[in-house]
Amino acid sequence: MSTISLLEFKNVAMAYDGIIVFENFNLKLLNGETVGLTGPSGCGKSTVLRLAVDLVSPVSGEVLFKSQPVNEWEPTELRRRMVLVPQEASMFTGTVEDNLKWALDIHKMDYREGEFERVLKDVLLDIEYLGKVAANLSGGQKQRVAIARALLLKPDVLLLDEPTSALDMEATLAVEEAINNLIKVSDLSVLIVTHNKEQARRFTSRVIEME
Amino acid sequence: MMLQFDFNLLEFLNGLPWDRISETSWRYITALFLLAALILVSRWQGLGIGNKLVVGTIRGTIQILIMALFLVSIFALENLIIIFIVLTFMGVFAAHTVRSNLDHIPGAMSASLPGILIAGLSVMFISVLLGIIPVIGEYIIPMGGMVIGNSMTMSSLVIDRMWSNAQKQRSLIETALSLGANPTQANELTIREAIRAGLLPNLNRYASLGIVSIPGLMSGMIIGGEHPIVAAFYQVIVFIMIFLAATICGFIISRMFLRKMFNERYQLLVPPLQK
Repeated sequence: MSTISLLEFKNVAMAYDGIIVFENFNLKLLNGETVGLTGPSGCGKSTVLRLAVDLVSPVSGEVLFKSQPVNEWEPTELRRRMVLVPQEASMFTGTVEDNLKWALDIHKMDYREGEFERVLKDVLLDIEYLGKVAANLSGGQKQRVAIARALLLKPDVLLLDEPTSALDMEATLAVEEAINNLIKVSDLSVLIVTHNKEQARRFTSRVIEME
Repeated sequence: MMLQFDFNLLEFLNGLPWDRISETSWRYITALFLLAALILVSRWQGLGIGNKLVVGTIRGTIQILIMALFLVSIFALENLIIIFIVLTFMGVFAAHTVRSNLDHIPGAMSASLPGILIAGLSVMFISVLLGIIPVIGEYIIPMGGMVIGNSMTMSSLVIDRMWSNAQKQRSLIETALSLGANPTQANELTIREAIRAGLLPNLNRYASLGIVSIPGLMSGMIIGGEHPIVAAFYQVIVFIMIFLAATICGFIISRMFLRKMFNERYQLLVPPLQK
């Protein structure tokens, strides 16, 4: 892990409809690091991830990706290099393979032999899943396909928003195992938002708590 | 080309076919008895549409009579520029109607106006240029009205679908954006479905042409004394024009409306659905 900061929040304040969600928020995600972000419901944890990929803009302060303000990046390029996997893993129509292909197509990226197999393996799913209808998968499987779909874009940073909040115990363990495997096998920087402090600690030693 | 408005009211009134107008107005008055029966049924069944029917009939009759008088004067001028100005006016009114029907959606007028005008006018212009329809107001204005009217329906449908989809399927759109999709890519499925849905009623009519129903233009031409075979050809021609204009309109409007739904940072501006 290097000391180069990939993602940085500097005194960021966020408000919705004039109501302040948080102020003076600071965070640094270093290259190759995994950080957990926890806090009570409504404290703005998910908003931090949305700010990172410029889906919303802060009221004040700065969000930097590779030392450049996120709003100066071309939006599609920013979101390819730093992919957010939302809390509700939405699947597009068609099979798992269609979903993976769609992610490549929007960036005009070429498919390389064995690529789908590799990303599915990273999230502990086997190749048979490629032909399954994405909408029919269980919550935990959808979550893992959503992470695989993000990995396909070869991002520098992966942002995971409550990856197990809507899952039962068995599915939670499977997703946790997949994320742990991913952290081990890749050199990705990962920022995980979860309301569960214990879970955050299972993924990483550095946990930031929001109030 | 000089635009000349040499209008004489007395001459105009003398030129109207008063005997046929008088005969038809009696038929119209008789038809009002049917309307009265409908109002009675409405009251009896508690449908609550009686007042709307009365107001709609009065307003509709006045509007359409004014339109008819206006058409008589336009046809008499036989000026292509004026005919296209009339079509432009119809297009502006169509966009205004879209805005009125979708008053809860911001930007409906500015998105639909260019779509309706570009699609409607270009299809009419090309049809005239290629000699598909005769260069006379009696053909261009009614057929243009159908083309513009269908483009208007397409506009309402595309805008309404895109807006409601952005509210209901917010997470799907934001998932696509989070993967680096641009607004067009994030909405491509909705746009395609909306355009298909917009064409569907006419496609159904197209498929059942002459078997289930005799469509408006053909009926009108037959009632007006045209040979049914000639009327049949014009009906197919107008359907092709409608499909072309509505499809072009759908694509233009979807692109224009995306600019209202997203900002230049590709952030979704549509508010979430209020529960």
